[in-house]
Amino acid sequence: MKIKRRDFLKLSAAAGASAALTGCVGANEPTTNALAPGSSNVKIGEMPGEWKPSTCQGCTTWCPVEIFVQDGRAVKVRGNRYSKQNEGSVCPRGHLSLQQLYDPDRIKVPMKRTNPKKGRGVDPKFVPISWDEALNTIADKMMELRKAEETEKYCLMRGRYTYLRDVIYDVMPKVFGSPNNISHSSTCAEAEKFGSFYTEGYWDYRDYDLDNAKYILIWGCDPVASNRMIPATIQRLGDALDRATVVAVDPRLTTSAAKANEWLPLMPGSDGALALGIAHVILSEGLWFKGFVGDFNDGVNRFKPGMEVEETSFTEKETHGLVKWWNIAVKDMSPAKAAELSGVTEEQILRVARGMAQAAPNVCVWMGPGAAMHARGGYSAMAVHALGGLVGGIDNVGGSLQTAKIPVNKLDKDILKKHQDDLAKKHSKFEKIDQRGRLELPVISHGESGGGVATNNAATGILNKDPYDIKVLVGYMNNPAFSCNGTDRWEKALASVPFTVHLTTNASEFSMFADIVLPCTVNKYERYGFVKTKANRYATCTLLQPVVDPIWDVIVDETEFPFLIAEKLKERGFSNLYDCLVEMYSDPETGKKPADSKEFTIFALKYYTSPLWDGKEDTHGDKINGWADMLKKGMWNSEAYKYKAHWGGKFHTESKKFEFYSETLKKALTGHADKHKVDVDTVLEKANYTAKGELAFVPHYEPPLRHGSVEDYPLVFIDYKSRLNREGRSANCPWYYEFKHVDPGDIGDQDTLRMNPIDAARYGIKDGDKVLLSSVAASGECVARVWEGVRPGTVSKSYGQGHWAYGRTATEDFAKAKPRGVNNNSIIPWELERLSGSNARNGGHAAVRVEKI
Amino acid sequence: MTQYAMVIDLRKCVGCGACALACKTENNTALRNNGQTHNWADFIHETTGVFPDTKYRTLPVLCNHCSNAPCVEACPVEPKAMFKTPEGLTMHNDERCIGCRACQDACPYSMEEVAKDRASGDYSVISYNEEGEPTHPYYSDKTELIPGCSASAAEQAKLAGATPPHEMKYSHPDYEAVRRDNIVEKCILCDHRLKVDKEPYCVVSCPSGARVVGDIDNPESEVYKLLRKHKAFVLKEDEGTSPNVYYIREYSNR
Repeated sequence: MKIKRRDFLKLSAAAGASAALTGCVGANEPTTNALAPGSSNVKIGEMPGEWKPSTCQGCTTWCPVEIFVQDGRAVKVRGNRYSKQNEGSVCPRGHLSLQQLYDPDRIKVPMKRTNPKKGRGVDPKFVPISWDEALNTIADKMMELRKAEETEKYCLMRGRYTYLRDVIYDVMPKVFGSPNNISHSSTCAEAEKFGSFYTEGYWDYRDYDLDNAKYILIWGCDPVASNRMIPATIQRLGDALDRATVVAVDPRLTTSAAKANEWLPLMPGSDGALALGIAHVILSEGLWFKGFVGDFNDGVNRFKPGMEVEETSFTEKETHGLVKWWNIAVKDMSPAKAAELSGVTEEQILRVARGMAQAAPNVCVWMGPGAAMHARGGYSAMAVHALGGLVGGIDNVGGSLQTAKIPVNKLDKDILKKHQDDLAKKHSKFEKIDQRGRLELPVISHGESGGGVATNNAATGILNKDPYDIKVLVGYMNNPAFSCNGTDRWEKALASVPFTVHLTTNASEFSMFADIVLPCTVNKYERYGFVKTKANRYATCTLLQPVVDPIWDVIVDETEFPFLIAEKLKERGFSNLYDCLVEMYSDPETGKKPADSKEFTIFALKYYTSPLWDGKEDTHGDKINGWADMLKKGMWNSEAYKYKAHWGGKFHTESKKFEFYSETLKKALTGHADKHKVDVDTVLEKANYTAKGELAFVPHYEPPLRHGSVEDYPLVFIDYKSRLNREGRSANCPWYYEFKHVDPGDIGDQDTLRMNPIDAARYGIKDGDKVLLSSVAASGECVARVWEGVRPGTVSKSYGQGHWAYGRTATEDFAKAKPRGVNNNSIIPWELERLSGSNARNGGHAAVRVEKI
Repeated sequence: MTQYAMVIDLRKCVGCGACALACKTENNTALRNNGQTHNWADFIHETTGVFPDTKYRTLPVLCNHCSNAPCVEACPVEPKAMFKTPEGLTMHNDERCIGCRACQDACPYSMEEVAKDRASGDYSVISYNEEGEPTHPYYSDKTELIPGCSASAAEQAKLAGATPPHEMKYSHPDYEAVRRDNIVEKCILCDHRLKVDKEPYCVVSCPSGARVVGDIDNPESEVYKLLRKHKAFVLKEDEGTSPNVYYIREYSNR
């Protein structure tokens, strides 16, 4: 019908036009160049508005941004003009976030559960309640714990955060009396940090000096799409391709791999072998960077394949244990063997090793989660990072860098301790619910047994009530029932908790197990906060600010919730938390105590950031004139990071050098073994590793762990992060699905499983087929894309889809808890990298089967 | 003569999608609906070769602002709703448009219905706003997923005071910031910005600096210089439309 009407219109209008042509001005104009502007009395351009600074937390770049605000509405986004990281531009996530702010499914009022039964797919039958009822209920539950002297049974689970987290994450549990502040940190990248810590003593993401790199080896990530400095990398990759050699190591064809000079599509979990193979070539061919590593005393290379070398024959400069590493792990990993284990050709291994050496020391080895977040990934992370050491690209021009200092205030521990009563002091030292530090779970972050978090093991502790049962669980900006692998374990664990509070923007999977849900701000647009970040040699402190007034009656999770609860606890006779908060976070300018939760938030922000703007000390960065100026600029840049800051024996390792033989790891593992009165071999065995003896202290290859037999689950599953994932928070944005195809190999509006044509033919699957993806853990539906950009024997799918809650767009049917696609974290069986406590999500432990539906 | 043109440097482009999303925020284009993408900026992705020698590239696409524009020729109204400006833009006047879609039919870069995703090569420069339907039907939905507790799209839009709630308000004599029903729409190269000496929003939003806009007839312009320095190609050259969107250099280094 429509077509007919349209044809009619065309015809009648054409008739009109011909009539006009005979009698009108413009009749002799060529019709293809008809110049006919509209009326000219309209003022051209955008309506009045203001660019206001804030911070994007769509990924861990934490971009300083500006938001254009018209009539109190956020309408568009750009990078902060003062930023030396993104220099005014943002990645697609920055724009996408507008649909997060104006998400139709935002929680608009506090709500409570009326159906006591908890479980996936069980309707909580939420009803709206007042803020007062919500806060009173929570305070009553907390007071019950105080009265029963079991305050350890309060547990705070943190998700994405700003550095105002101290209030909800440190002060609140500790003053209340609980050890349980469980962060989400090990969901993302702790195994990666393990790699840099046990080589160069740096437990953090590295910065990368792309502007000066002559060789860029990208390993296990796609830094123009995810990881830590996205807009800065997007800005620089094109020029880098003109100037440097770019190589991507990844089993899937990433954007970086598509653009690179060379793609090394290794088998998942073989990273250690490939890295050692490259190291073998560099050493046996005498190509290491002598200015960093040193040389044989007589200058004659003794690194002969398979042959041991006398340690005293080599004198190192900035490094420690090179010969030991060769003898223990490298000498037998010939490029041929590495090729066989990794599926990368020997020619490529040789070419990359020689290319890196030729560009030394301006070599950037960009180690990402794909190299590290394996069940046995701690050592592959070290192996990849050690390559940077071999070619001198550590803390050096054109290499990986650490960070410049950001002089902000820290939490005042004395004030905190002052307000802890005896119960709080005692119970906040109880064992934590994630069981960190147990024999089988060393979590030796920063060198200390149990020194970090094992986020995914909190599910185990909660479910088994080991070391005790959690009675009051509070989660904020988190959703482990979706974002941690082994979602089935989380669902059971959360269903077992008698009282759960969720601070959130949307009713997510976690919320569906909650008894009370409190509506919170969308960070980028509606709240105050600050974060610390770095890129391009500049460290940055950037503020989050409420650039628009929230439409709904929402609170700031990290500050307002603790303050409001503190008031309620005070009413109930426990005033310690309130007293602590108002003492610690009085206005640093006037000394005024906060009158309400809104003022408290601002004072807390002023307290932390004041060294940047109060003019008292040199910040070694941007000069900011007072608080008003800080709010106006929205951010602070450091001076450029100084190269080689840790050369000359200043690395924070046991030897003070870059360690190929990790004395730091030896000390940490030995300390953990001693604590449990066992030997290091036993620790490694309990922690899922195969290494024995000295191998435990050097970067080496570990065969990948595999859940599922080759017969039943013949393919290896590769998880990756979409460039449109705002971590887990963009799945309810329609633009996410519209542009999902910007992930190479993906198709819009579907949950795409990429498989190689060889595998597709083998399993009778055609492009576009609906398929059932199954692992030992779970099954779910997605759509096959037959694509040459994925290694035969592997399939890949991006994390992000498969929600059974969150909103109308994220789910197939919210009311029926029917997912849209399948969650990778349901398919990936529950697993940990136990040395760092990380969620294991890469490296091949997730074996799968794909069947046509 | 002035002829605006865009040069897209594929070496710099990483296919991230920022341009297309930024365009949606600047120009308040609707969500895909009725076979219309409403994406004034979009992408084609091409995979060639066999593993492990697989090649892949992304081509950002938009209105080519052709010098010999079939959409203008096809526009049946007088004066034309689709017309060329003195700066060489292919402009659309909302008021004169009768929604006949002859332009969409004539444009070799447009489709009447885009059934498939752009990963398959399908896209459309020109989209049509269905007669009798709101431009942003997504924001007229009053459903609350959790009654009384969660919002609805219509409530969001109402309380924000605009549809879409993030509407970027601007004015231009030829086109509205949010189009009415029963007219076509497409990239107008952000003429509301060009006219006040600002570059199109996709250009300023490209984090890689891959998109350059300027007067191709002016030897001082960046686009002029880039096109003399590099070999360029245009889309569907055989159609004879003389596109003014040029692509230079290779996406991949392999």
